[in-house]
Amino acid sequence: MAVIEVANLRKTYSGRAVLEDVSFSVQEGEVFGILGPNGAGKTTTVECVEGLRRPDAGTIRVLGLDPVRDARALREDVGVQLQQTQLPENLKVGEALDLYASFYRAPRDWRELQEEWGLAELRRARFGKLSGGQRQRLFIALALVGDPKVVFLDELTTGLDPQARRSTWELVKRVRARGVTTVLVSHFMDEVEELCDRVAVIDRGTVVALDTPAGLVGADAGPQQMRFTLLADTDPVPLLSALPGITAVDRDGAHVTVHGTGDFATAVAARLAQEHLLVTDLRIDQRSLEDAFIALTGRPFDH
Amino acid sequence: MTALAKLTAVETKLLLREPGSLVSILIPLFFLVVFGASTPKDDTVLLPMGMSIAVGLIGLYLLPTTLAGYRERGILRRLSTTPVKPGNLLAVQLLLQLALLAAATALQLTVAGGVLGIQLPSRALPVAIACALGTAAMFAVGLLIAALAPNGRAANGIGVLLYFPMAYLAGLIQPVAQMPASLARVGEYTPLGAFRAGLAQAWTGQSPDLLPLILLAAYTVVISAIAARCFRWE
Repeated sequence: MAVIEVANLRKTYSGRAVLEDVSFSVQEGEVFGILGPNGAGKTTTVECVEGLRRPDAGTIRVLGLDPVRDARALREDVGVQLQQTQLPENLKVGEALDLYASFYRAPRDWRELQEEWGLAELRRARFGKLSGGQRQRLFIALALVGDPKVVFLDELTTGLDPQARRSTWELVKRVRARGVTTVLVSHFMDEVEELCDRVAVIDRGTVVALDTPAGLVGADAGPQQMRFTLLADTDPVPLLSALPGITAVDRDGAHVTVHGTGDFATAVAARLAQEHLLVTDLRIDQRSLEDAFIALTGRPFDH
Repeated sequence: MTALAKLTAVETKLLLREPGSLVSILIPLFFLVVFGASTPKDDTVLLPMGMSIAVGLIGLYLLPTTLAGYRERGILRRLSTTPVKPGNLLAVQLLLQLALLAAATALQLTVAGGVLGIQLPSRALPVAIACALGTAAMFAVGLLIAALAPNGRAANGIGVLLYFPMAYLAGLIQPVAQMPASLARVGEYTPLGAFRAGLAQAWTGQSPDLLPLILLAAYTVVISAIAARCFRWE
Protein backbone atom coordinates (compact mmCIF):
# COMPACT_ATOMS: atom_id res chain seq x y z
CA MET A 1 0.00 0.00 0.00
CA ALA A 2 1.32 3.42 -0.89
CA VAL A 3 1.44 5.64 2.19
CA ILE A 4 2.67 8.67 0.28
CA GLU A 5 1.91 9.47 -3.32
CA VAL A 6 3.44 12.49 -5.00
CA ALA A 7 2.70 13.30 -8.61
CA ASN A 8 4.12 16.05 -10.84
CA LEU A 9 5.03 18.38 -8.01
CA ARG A 10 6.00 21.90 -9.06
CA LYS A 11 7.09 24.80 -6.92
CA THR A 12 8.42 28.19 -7.99
CA TYR A 13 9.92 30.84 -5.75
CA SER A 14 9.87 34.33 -7.25
CA GLY A 15 10.13 33.06 -10.81
CA ARG A 16 12.78 30.43 -10.09
CA ALA A 17 11.56 26.84 -10.38
CA VAL A 18 12.78 24.94 -7.33
CA LEU A 19 10.79 21.83 -8.18
CA GLU A 20 10.24 21.11 -11.85
CA ASP A 21 8.49 17.77 -11.81
CA VAL A 22 8.77 15.51 -8.80
CA SER A 23 6.86 12.22 -8.55
CA PHE A 24 7.36 9.24 -6.27
CA SER A 25 5.46 6.99 -3.94
CA VAL A 26 6.41 5.53 -0.59
CA GLN A 27 5.20 2.10 0.49
CA GLU A 28 4.05 1.20 3.97
CA GLY A 29 6.86 0.31 6.34
CA GLU A 30 9.75 1.25 4.10
CA VAL A 31 12.55 3.70 4.68
CA PHE A 32 12.46 5.96 1.66
CA GLY A 33 15.44 8.18 0.96
CA ILE A 34 15.40 11.53 -0.77
CA LEU A 35 18.94 12.19 -1.84
CA GLY A 36 20.49 15.11 -3.61
CA PRO A 37 23.02 17.88 -3.27
CA ASN A 38 22.23 21.02 -1.28
CA GLY A 39 19.72 23.17 -3.10
CA ALA A 40 18.40 20.30 -5.22
CA GLY A 41 14.87 20.73 -3.84
CA LYS A 42 14.82 17.92 -1.26
CA THR A 43 13.62 19.99 1.66
CA THR A 44 11.07 21.86 -0.45
CA THR A 45 9.73 18.49 -1.57
CA VAL A 46 9.28 17.12 1.94
CA GLU A 47 7.91 20.42 3.20
CA CYS A 48 5.21 20.22 0.54
CA VAL A 49 4.49 16.63 1.58
CA GLU A 50 4.38 17.68 5.25
CA GLY A 51 1.87 20.41 4.36
CA LEU A 52 4.18 23.25 5.41
CA ARG A 53 4.31 24.56 1.85
CA ARG A 54 1.69 24.67 -0.84
CA PRO A 55 2.90 23.38 -4.21
CA ASP A 56 2.13 25.39 -7.35
CA ALA A 57 1.03 22.28 -9.19
CA GLY A 58 0.82 18.52 -8.70
CA THR A 59 -0.97 16.27 -6.25
CA ILE A 60 0.14 14.89 -2.91
CA ARG A 61 -1.60 12.24 -0.84
CA VAL A 62 -0.35 11.17 2.54
CA LEU A 63 -2.33 8.29 4.09
CA GLY A 64 -4.92 9.15 1.46
CA LEU A 65 -5.24 12.77 2.65
CA ASP A 66 -4.25 16.12 1.17
CA PRO A 67 -1.53 17.60 3.42
CA VAL A 68 -2.81 21.17 3.06
CA ARG A 69 -6.58 20.65 3.00
CA ASP A 70 -6.66 17.85 5.60
CA ALA A 71 -3.81 19.23 7.70
CA ARG A 72 -5.64 18.86 11.00
CA ALA A 73 -6.43 15.18 10.56
CA LEU A 74 -3.04 14.38 9.11
CA ARG A 75 -0.92 15.98 11.83
CA GLU A 76 -2.12 13.36 14.31
CA ASP A 77 -0.51 10.63 12.19
CA VAL A 78 2.62 12.32 10.90
CA GLY A 79 5.79 12.91 12.90
CA VAL A 80 8.36 15.43 11.74
CA GLN A 81 11.95 16.23 12.53
CA LEU A 82 12.75 19.49 10.77
CA GLN A 83 16.13 20.59 9.55
CA GLN A 84 17.68 23.25 11.80
CA THR A 85 15.04 23.35 14.48
CA GLN A 86 15.84 24.01 18.07
CA LEU A 87 13.94 24.12 21.32
CA PRO A 88 14.07 26.82 23.99
CA GLU A 89 17.47 26.72 25.74
CA ASN A 90 15.93 26.26 29.16
CA LEU A 91 13.40 23.58 28.25
CA LYS A 92 14.24 20.26 29.94
CA VAL A 93 14.20 16.98 28.03
CA GLY A 94 11.38 15.46 30.08
CA GLU A 95 9.30 18.63 29.79
CA ALA A 96 9.69 18.70 26.02
CA LEU A 97 8.50 15.09 25.66
CA ASP A 98 5.62 15.61 28.09
CA LEU A 99 4.58 18.83 26.28
CA TYR A 100 4.70 17.38 22.78
CA ALA A 101 2.84 14.26 23.93
CA SER A 102 0.00 16.49 25.14
CA PHE A 103 -0.48 17.84 21.59
CA TYR A 104 -1.77 14.49 20.28
CA ARG A 105 -5.04 12.68 20.84
CA ALA A 106 -3.44 9.26 21.20
CA PRO A 107 0.23 9.81 22.03
CA ARG A 108 2.73 7.20 23.10
CA ASP A 109 3.73 7.05 26.74
CA TRP A 110 6.45 9.70 26.76
CA ARG A 111 8.23 8.17 29.74
CA GLU A 112 8.51 4.89 27.87
CA LEU A 113 9.84 6.76 24.84
CA GLN A 114 12.28 8.61 27.06
CA GLU A 115 13.55 5.27 28.34
CA GLU A 116 13.66 3.73 24.89
CA TRP A 117 15.77 6.52 23.41
CA GLY A 118 18.22 6.66 26.29
CA LEU A 119 16.97 10.05 27.43
CA ALA A 120 15.86 9.03 30.93
CA GLU A 121 19.07 10.10 32.62
CA LEU A 122 18.91 13.38 30.67
CA ARG A 123 15.31 14.18 31.59
CA ARG A 124 16.32 17.09 33.83
CA ALA A 125 18.93 18.35 31.38
CA ARG A 126 18.16 21.59 29.61
CA PHE A 127 18.09 21.60 25.82
CA GLY A 128 20.89 24.18 25.68
CA LYS A 129 23.24 21.78 27.47
CA LEU A 130 22.69 18.77 25.19
CA SER A 131 25.28 17.56 22.69
CA GLY A 132 24.43 17.34 18.99
CA GLY A 133 23.81 13.61 19.19
CA GLN A 134 21.62 13.96 22.28
CA ARG A 135 19.59 16.66 20.56
CA GLN A 136 19.00 14.43 17.55
CA ARG A 137 17.88 11.64 19.86
CA LEU A 138 15.41 14.02 21.47
CA PHE A 139 14.18 15.26 18.07
CA ILE A 140 13.54 11.72 16.86
CA ALA A 141 11.73 10.92 20.10
CA LEU A 142 9.62 14.07 19.67
CA ALA A 143 8.82 13.08 16.09
CA LEU A 144 7.60 9.71 17.40
CA VAL A 145 5.73 10.89 20.49
CA GLY A 146 2.41 11.25 18.67
CA ASP A 147 2.65 7.56 17.65
CA PRO A 148 2.76 8.48 13.95
CA LYS A 149 2.26 6.20 10.97
CA VAL A 150 4.71 8.23 8.89
CA VAL A 151 7.79 10.06 10.08
CA PHE A 152 9.95 12.57 8.20
CA LEU A 153 13.60 12.94 9.15
CA ASP A 154 15.35 15.84 7.43
CA GLU A 155 19.17 15.98 7.43
CA LEU A 156 19.34 14.03 10.61
CA THR A 157 23.10 13.70 10.87
CA THR A 158 24.34 16.99 9.43
CA GLY A 159 26.84 18.50 11.82
CA LEU A 160 27.35 15.33 13.85
CA ASP A 161 30.72 13.68 14.35
CA PRO A 162 31.21 10.26 12.71
CA GLN A 163 30.49 8.32 15.89
CA ALA A 164 27.27 10.23 16.60
CA ARG A 165 26.23 9.71 12.97
CA ARG A 166 26.69 5.95 13.32
CA SER A 167 24.62 5.82 16.49
CA THR A 168 21.91 7.98 14.88
CA TRP A 169 21.76 5.44 12.06
CA GLU A 170 21.07 2.74 14.62
CA LEU A 171 18.16 4.85 15.88
CA VAL A 172 16.67 5.07 12.39
CA LYS A 173 16.90 1.30 12.11
CA ARG A 174 14.95 1.04 15.34
CA VAL A 175 12.22 3.34 14.02
CA ARG A 176 11.98 1.15 10.99
CA ALA A 177 11.83 -1.98 13.12
CA ARG A 178 8.69 -0.57 14.73
CA GLY A 179 7.09 -0.52 11.28
CA VAL A 180 6.85 3.27 10.99
CA THR A 181 7.09 4.40 7.39
CA THR A 182 10.08 6.73 7.23
CA VAL A 183 11.09 9.40 4.75
CA LEU A 184 14.75 10.25 5.17
CA VAL A 185 16.14 13.38 3.53
CA SER A 186 19.88 13.40 3.21
CA HIS A 187 22.80 14.66 1.21
CA PHE A 188 25.01 11.87 2.50
CA MET A 189 25.45 8.96 0.12
CA ASP A 190 26.67 6.54 2.80
CA GLU A 191 23.70 7.30 5.00
CA VAL A 192 21.18 6.56 2.29
CA GLU A 193 23.05 3.42 1.22
CA GLU A 194 23.04 2.17 4.80
CA LEU A 195 19.47 2.94 5.78
CA CYS A 196 17.10 3.19 2.84
CA ASP A 197 15.03 0.56 1.08
CA ARG A 198 14.53 2.83 -1.90
CA VAL A 199 15.94 6.17 -2.90
CA ALA A 200 14.74 9.03 -5.06
CA VAL A 201 17.70 11.01 -6.35
CA ILE A 202 16.69 14.64 -6.82
CA ASP A 203 18.79 17.03 -8.83
CA ARG A 204 17.78 20.52 -9.92
CA GLY A 205 14.16 19.99 -8.98
CA THR A 206 13.57 16.70 -10.76
CA VAL A 207 13.79 13.06 -9.80
CA VAL A 208 16.69 11.74 -11.87
CA ALA A 209 16.53 8.19 -10.52
CA LEU A 210 14.39 6.07 -8.22
CA ASP A 211 15.54 2.63 -7.17
CA THR A 212 17.02 0.59 -4.33
CA PRO A 213 20.52 1.76 -3.34
CA ALA A 214 21.96 -1.45 -4.82
CA GLY A 215 19.88 -0.98 -7.95
CA LEU A 216 21.10 2.59 -8.34
CA VAL A 217 24.69 1.50 -8.05
CA GLY A 218 24.12 -1.46 -10.36
CA ALA A 219 21.94 0.28 -12.91
CA ASP A 220 24.79 2.27 -14.28
CA ALA A 221 27.43 -0.17 -13.28
CA GLY A 222 30.25 0.35 -15.65
CA PRO A 223 33.38 -1.74 -15.36
CA GLN A 224 34.81 -2.26 -11.93
CA GLN A 225 38.32 -3.15 -10.90
CA MET A 226 39.98 -5.62 -8.61
CA ARG A 227 43.66 -5.25 -7.88
CA PHE A 228 46.14 -7.47 -6.06
CA THR A 229 49.74 -8.52 -5.90
CA LEU A 230 50.54 -12.18 -6.50
CA LEU A 231 52.98 -13.77 -4.11
CA ALA A 232 53.72 -16.70 -6.44
CA ASP A 233 55.39 -16.37 -9.79
CA THR A 234 52.46 -17.59 -11.84
CA ASP A 235 50.79 -16.07 -14.87
CA PRO A 236 47.21 -15.40 -13.73
CA VAL A 237 45.87 -14.31 -17.12
CA PRO A 238 44.91 -17.77 -18.45
CA LEU A 239 43.44 -18.71 -15.08
CA LEU A 240 41.19 -15.72 -14.74
CA SER A 241 40.25 -14.38 -18.14
CA ALA A 242 37.74 -17.15 -18.80
CA LEU A 243 35.78 -16.52 -15.58
CA PRO A 244 32.25 -15.08 -15.91
CA GLY A 245 31.91 -11.31 -15.86
CA ILE A 246 35.56 -10.59 -16.53
CA THR A 247 36.38 -8.26 -19.36
CA ALA A 248 40.14 -7.96 -19.09
CA VAL A 249 43.12 -9.02 -16.99
CA ASP A 250 46.22 -6.82 -16.96
CA ARG A 251 49.50 -7.87 -15.48
CA ASP A 252 52.51 -5.73 -14.59
CA GLY A 253 55.02 -8.08 -12.99
CA ALA A 254 53.35 -9.34 -9.83
CA HIS A 255 50.70 -6.58 -9.87
CA VAL A 256 47.44 -7.76 -11.39
CA THR A 257 44.37 -5.71 -12.31
CA VAL A 258 41.15 -7.53 -13.17
CA HIS A 259 38.36 -5.62 -14.93
CA GLY A 260 34.85 -6.93 -14.84
CA THR A 261 31.18 -6.36 -14.17
CA GLY A 262 28.74 -7.75 -11.64
CA ASP A 263 29.98 -10.10 -8.94
CA PHE A 264 33.21 -11.06 -10.69
CA ALA A 265 35.36 -10.46 -7.62
CA THR A 266 33.90 -13.48 -5.83
CA ALA A 267 34.70 -15.69 -8.83
CA VAL A 268 38.26 -14.40 -8.94
CA ALA A 269 38.77 -14.98 -5.22
CA ALA A 270 37.37 -18.51 -5.48
CA ARG A 271 39.62 -19.35 -8.41
CA LEU A 272 42.73 -18.04 -6.68
CA ALA A 273 41.91 -20.06 -3.57
CA GLN A 274 41.36 -23.14 -5.66
CA GLU A 275 44.85 -22.76 -7.15
CA HIS A 276 46.31 -22.04 -3.68
CA LEU A 277 47.64 -18.74 -4.97
CA LEU A 278 48.34 -16.27 -2.19
CA VAL A 279 47.77 -12.59 -2.88
CA THR A 280 48.43 -9.40 -0.98
CA ASP A 281 47.34 -5.72 -1.29
CA LEU A 282 43.91 -6.84 -2.44
CA ARG A 283 41.67 -3.91 -3.40
CA ILE A 284 38.26 -3.82 -4.99
CA ASP A 285 37.20 -0.49 -6.41
CA GLN A 286 33.53 -0.72 -5.75
CA ARG A 287 31.17 1.75 -7.24
CA SER A 288 29.23 3.76 -4.73
CA LEU A 289 26.08 5.84 -4.96
CA GLU A 290 28.44 8.74 -5.47
CA ASP A 291 29.66 7.20 -8.72
CA ALA A 292 26.06 6.46 -9.64
CA PHE A 293 25.18 10.10 -9.08
CA ILE A 294 27.95 11.25 -11.38
CA ALA A 295 26.77 8.76 -13.98
CA LEU A 296 23.17 9.98 -13.64
CA THR A 297 23.73 13.71 -13.66
CA GLY A 298 27.05 14.03 -15.43
CA ARG A 299 28.56 16.07 -12.64
CA PRO A 300 30.10 15.42 -9.25
CA PHE A 301 28.04 15.40 -6.12
CA ASP A 302 29.12 18.45 -4.19
CA HIS A 303 27.94 18.66 -0.60
CA MET B 1 -4.05 18.01 31.00
CA THR B 2 -5.05 19.61 27.72
CA ALA B 3 -2.38 20.78 25.30
CA LEU B 4 -3.10 24.44 26.00
CA ALA B 5 -2.86 24.02 29.77
CA LYS B 6 0.39 22.10 29.39
CA LEU B 7 1.76 24.70 27.01
CA THR B 8 0.91 27.45 29.52
CA ALA B 9 2.54 25.52 32.37
CA VAL B 10 5.73 24.88 30.39
CA GLU B 11 5.95 28.45 29.08
CA THR B 12 5.47 29.77 32.62
CA LYS B 13 8.43 27.69 33.78
CA LEU B 14 10.50 28.97 30.86
CA LEU B 15 9.58 32.57 31.64
CA LEU B 16 10.60 32.10 35.26
CA ARG B 17 13.92 30.56 34.18
CA GLU B 18 14.61 33.53 31.92
CA PRO B 19 16.81 36.06 33.77
CA GLY B 20 15.18 38.88 31.77
CA SER B 21 11.92 38.30 33.66
CA LEU B 22 13.55 38.90 37.00
CA VAL B 23 15.39 41.95 35.65
CA SER B 24 12.10 43.42 34.37
CA ILE B 25 10.65 43.14 37.86
CA LEU B 26 13.73 44.21 39.82
CA ILE B 27 14.87 47.28 37.86
CA PRO B 28 11.68 49.31 38.40
CA LEU B 29 11.49 48.08 41.98
CA PHE B 30 15.08 49.11 42.63
CA PHE B 31 14.32 52.52 41.13
CA LEU B 32 11.27 52.88 43.35
CA VAL B 33 13.07 51.91 46.56
CA VAL B 34 16.15 54.07 45.91
CA PHE B 35 14.20 57.25 45.13
CA GLY B 36 11.13 56.43 47.19
CA ALA B 37 13.00 56.45 50.49
CA SER B 38 13.52 60.20 50.33
CA THR B 39 10.32 61.20 48.58
CA PRO B 40 7.38 63.01 50.22
CA LYS B 41 4.36 60.83 51.02
CA ASP B 42 2.12 62.72 48.59
CA ASP B 43 4.45 62.15 45.61
CA THR B 44 2.62 61.53 42.32
CA VAL B 45 5.64 61.19 40.01
CA LEU B 46 7.63 58.22 41.20
CA LEU B 47 5.16 55.35 40.88
CA PRO B 48 3.93 56.30 37.38
CA MET B 49 7.64 56.40 36.38
CA GLY B 50 8.34 53.01 37.91
CA MET B 51 5.28 51.44 36.32
CA SER B 52 6.21 52.92 32.93
CA ILE B 53 9.73 51.49 33.24
CA ALA B 54 8.26 48.01 33.81
CA VAL B 55 5.96 48.35 30.78
CA GLY B 56 8.86 49.62 28.67
CA LEU B 57 11.24 46.81 29.68
CA ILE B 58 8.73 44.02 29.13
CA GLY B 59 7.11 45.46 26.00
CA LEU B 60 10.28 46.60 24.24
CA TYR B 61 12.75 44.02 25.42
CA LEU B 62 11.38 40.81 26.89
CA LEU B 63 8.36 40.26 24.61
CA PRO B 64 10.02 40.84 21.21
CA THR B 65 13.21 38.97 22.19
CA THR B 66 11.19 35.94 23.23
CA LEU B 67 8.91 35.89 20.19
CA ALA B 68 11.65 36.57 17.61
CA GLY B 69 13.77 33.89 19.30
CA TYR B 70 10.96 31.36 18.98
CA ARG B 71 10.67 32.08 15.29
CA GLU B 72 14.45 32.06 14.76
CA ARG B 73 14.83 28.72 16.50
CA GLY B 74 12.13 27.20 14.30
CA ILE B 75 9.91 26.51 17.29
CA LEU B 76 6.86 28.06 15.63
CA ARG B 77 7.49 25.99 12.51
CA ARG B 78 8.02 22.80 14.48
CA LEU B 79 4.74 23.46 16.24
CA SER B 80 2.90 23.88 12.96
CA THR B 81 3.72 20.23 12.16
CA THR B 82 1.79 19.13 15.27
CA PRO B 83 -1.97 19.29 15.84
CA VAL B 84 -1.40 22.46 17.91
CA LYS B 85 -1.36 25.73 15.96
CA PRO B 86 1.69 27.96 16.53
CA GLY B 87 -0.66 30.91 17.14
CA ASN B 88 -1.47 29.27 20.47
CA LEU B 89 2.12 29.67 21.56
CA LEU B 90 2.09 33.38 20.70
CA ALA B 91 -1.18 33.86 22.58
CA VAL B 92 0.15 32.02 25.64
CA GLN B 93 3.37 34.08 25.59
CA LEU B 94 1.43 37.34 25.29
CA LEU B 95 -0.77 36.42 28.26
CA LEU B 96 2.21 35.36 30.36
CA GLN B 97 4.10 38.56 29.69
CA LEU B 98 0.97 40.47 30.66
CA ALA B 99 0.84 38.44 33.86
CA LEU B 100 4.51 39.22 34.51
CA LEU B 101 3.80 42.91 34.02
CA ALA B 102 0.81 42.69 36.36
CA ALA B 103 3.04 41.04 38.95
CA ALA B 104 5.73 43.72 38.54
CA THR B 105 3.10 46.47 38.90
CA ALA B 106 1.40 44.87 41.89
CA LEU B 107 4.77 44.47 43.59
CA GLN B 108 5.57 48.15 43.06
CA LEU B 109 2.18 49.26 44.37
CA THR B 110 2.56 47.04 47.42
CA VAL B 111 6.06 48.26 48.21
CA ALA B 112 5.17 51.91 47.55
CA GLY B 113 1.95 51.81 49.56
CA GLY B 114 2.92 49.34 52.26
CA VAL B 115 6.63 49.87 52.86
CA LEU B 116 7.41 53.39 51.66
CA GLY B 117 4.06 54.80 52.70
CA ILE B 118 3.54 56.67 49.45
CA GLN B 119 -0.07 57.71 48.91
CA LEU B 120 -1.89 55.66 46.26
CA PRO B 121 -4.60 57.21 44.11
CA SER B 122 -8.07 56.99 45.60
CA ARG B 123 -9.79 56.19 42.32
CA ALA B 124 -8.57 52.99 40.71
CA LEU B 125 -10.51 53.09 37.44
CA PRO B 126 -8.64 55.93 35.68
CA VAL B 127 -5.34 54.25 36.65
CA ALA B 128 -6.56 50.91 35.32
CA ILE B 129 -7.67 52.47 32.02
CA ALA B 130 -4.34 54.25 31.57
CA CYS B 131 -2.48 51.02 32.42
CA ALA B 132 -4.52 48.97 29.97
CA LEU B 133 -4.06 51.40 27.08
CA GLY B 134 -0.37 52.02 27.83
CA THR B 135 0.36 48.30 28.04
CA ALA B 136 -1.53 47.67 24.80
CA ALA B 137 0.45 50.38 22.98
CA MET B 138 3.85 49.21 24.24
CA PHE B 139 3.07 45.55 23.57
CA ALA B 140 2.08 46.56 20.04
CA VAL B 141 5.53 48.15 19.64
CA GLY B 142 7.04 44.94 20.99
CA LEU B 143 5.09 42.84 18.51
CA LEU B 144 6.25 45.10 15.69
CA ILE B 145 9.88 44.60 16.75
CA ALA B 146 9.26 40.83 16.87
CA ALA B 147 7.72 40.97 13.40
CA LEU B 148 10.57 42.95 11.83
CA ALA B 149 13.64 41.56 13.60
CA PRO B 150 15.31 38.73 11.70
CA ASN B 151 16.29 36.93 14.92
CA GLY B 152 16.24 37.05 18.70
CA ARG B 153 19.50 38.94 19.02
CA ALA B 154 18.39 41.60 16.57
CA ALA B 155 15.10 41.96 18.45
CA ASN B 156 17.07 42.37 21.64
CA GLY B 157 19.28 45.03 20.02
CA ILE B 158 16.35 46.96 18.56
CA GLY B 159 14.55 46.80 21.91
CA VAL B 160 17.52 48.17 23.81
CA LEU B 161 18.15 50.86 21.17
CA LEU B 162 14.52 51.97 21.35
CA TYR B 163 14.22 51.74 25.11
CA PHE B 164 16.66 54.46 26.08
CA PRO B 165 15.46 57.28 23.80
CA MET B 166 11.85 56.35 24.49
CA ALA B 167 12.46 56.20 28.23
CA TYR B 168 14.28 59.54 28.14
CA LEU B 169 11.55 61.28 26.12
CA ALA B 170 8.92 59.78 28.41
CA GLY B 171 10.66 61.32 31.39
CA LEU B 172 11.73 58.04 32.93
CA ILE B 173 15.45 58.80 33.06
CA GLN B 174 15.10 62.40 34.17
CA PRO B 175 11.79 63.70 35.62
CA VAL B 176 9.81 65.73 33.09
CA ALA B 177 10.11 68.87 35.24
CA GLN B 178 13.90 68.83 34.79
CA MET B 179 13.83 68.15 31.03
CA PRO B 180 14.11 70.82 28.34
CA ALA B 181 10.54 71.95 27.71
CA SER B 182 10.62 71.18 23.99
CA LEU B 183 11.79 67.60 24.53
CA ALA B 184 9.25 67.06 27.27
CA ARG B 185 6.57 68.29 24.89
CA VAL B 186 7.70 65.90 22.13
CA GLY B 187 7.90 63.10 24.68
CA GLU B 188 4.23 63.37 25.50
CA TYR B 189 3.44 62.21 21.99
CA THR B 190 5.55 59.03 22.17
CA PRO B 191 3.78 55.85 23.31
CA LEU B 192 5.75 55.53 26.55
CA GLY B 193 5.50 59.30 27.22
CA ALA B 194 1.77 59.32 26.63
CA PHE B 195 1.47 56.40 29.01
CA ARG B 196 3.45 58.10 31.77
CA ALA B 197 1.51 61.33 31.25
CA GLY B 198 -1.85 59.56 31.29
CA LEU B 199 -0.86 57.61 34.36
CA ALA B 200 0.40 60.70 36.17
CA GLN B 201 -2.90 62.46 35.50
CA ALA B 202 -4.89 59.52 36.79
CA TRP B 203 -2.65 59.62 39.87
CA THR B 204 -3.31 63.23 40.78
CA GLY B 205 -7.03 62.68 40.38
CA GLN B 206 -7.49 65.81 38.30
CA SER B 207 -10.07 65.65 35.52
CA PRO B 208 -8.18 63.67 32.91
CA ASP B 209 -6.93 65.14 29.70
CA LEU B 210 -8.06 62.61 27.11
CA LEU B 211 -5.24 63.28 24.66
CA PRO B 212 -2.71 60.75 26.08
CA LEU B 213 -5.37 58.04 26.21
CA ILE B 214 -6.52 58.72 22.64
CA LEU B 215 -2.90 58.69 21.49
CA LEU B 216 -2.30 55.35 23.18
CA ALA B 217 -5.40 53.81 21.63
CA ALA B 218 -4.36 55.09 18.19
CA TYR B 219 -0.80 53.76 18.63
CA THR B 220 -2.19 50.37 19.64
CA VAL B 221 -4.46 50.04 16.62
CA VAL B 222 -2.00 51.31 14.01
CA ILE B 223 1.15 49.60 15.28
CA SER B 224 -0.45 46.23 15.98
CA ALA B 225 -2.04 46.29 12.51
CA ILE B 226 1.41 46.86 10.94
CA ALA B 227 2.91 44.15 13.17
CA ALA B 228 0.24 41.64 12.16
CA ARG B 229 0.82 42.45 8.50
CA CYS B 230 4.61 42.09 8.75
CA PHE B 231 4.69 39.05 11.01
CA ARG B 232 6.33 35.97 9.52
CA TRP B 233 6.03 32.51 11.00
CA GLU B 234 9.46 31.47 9.72
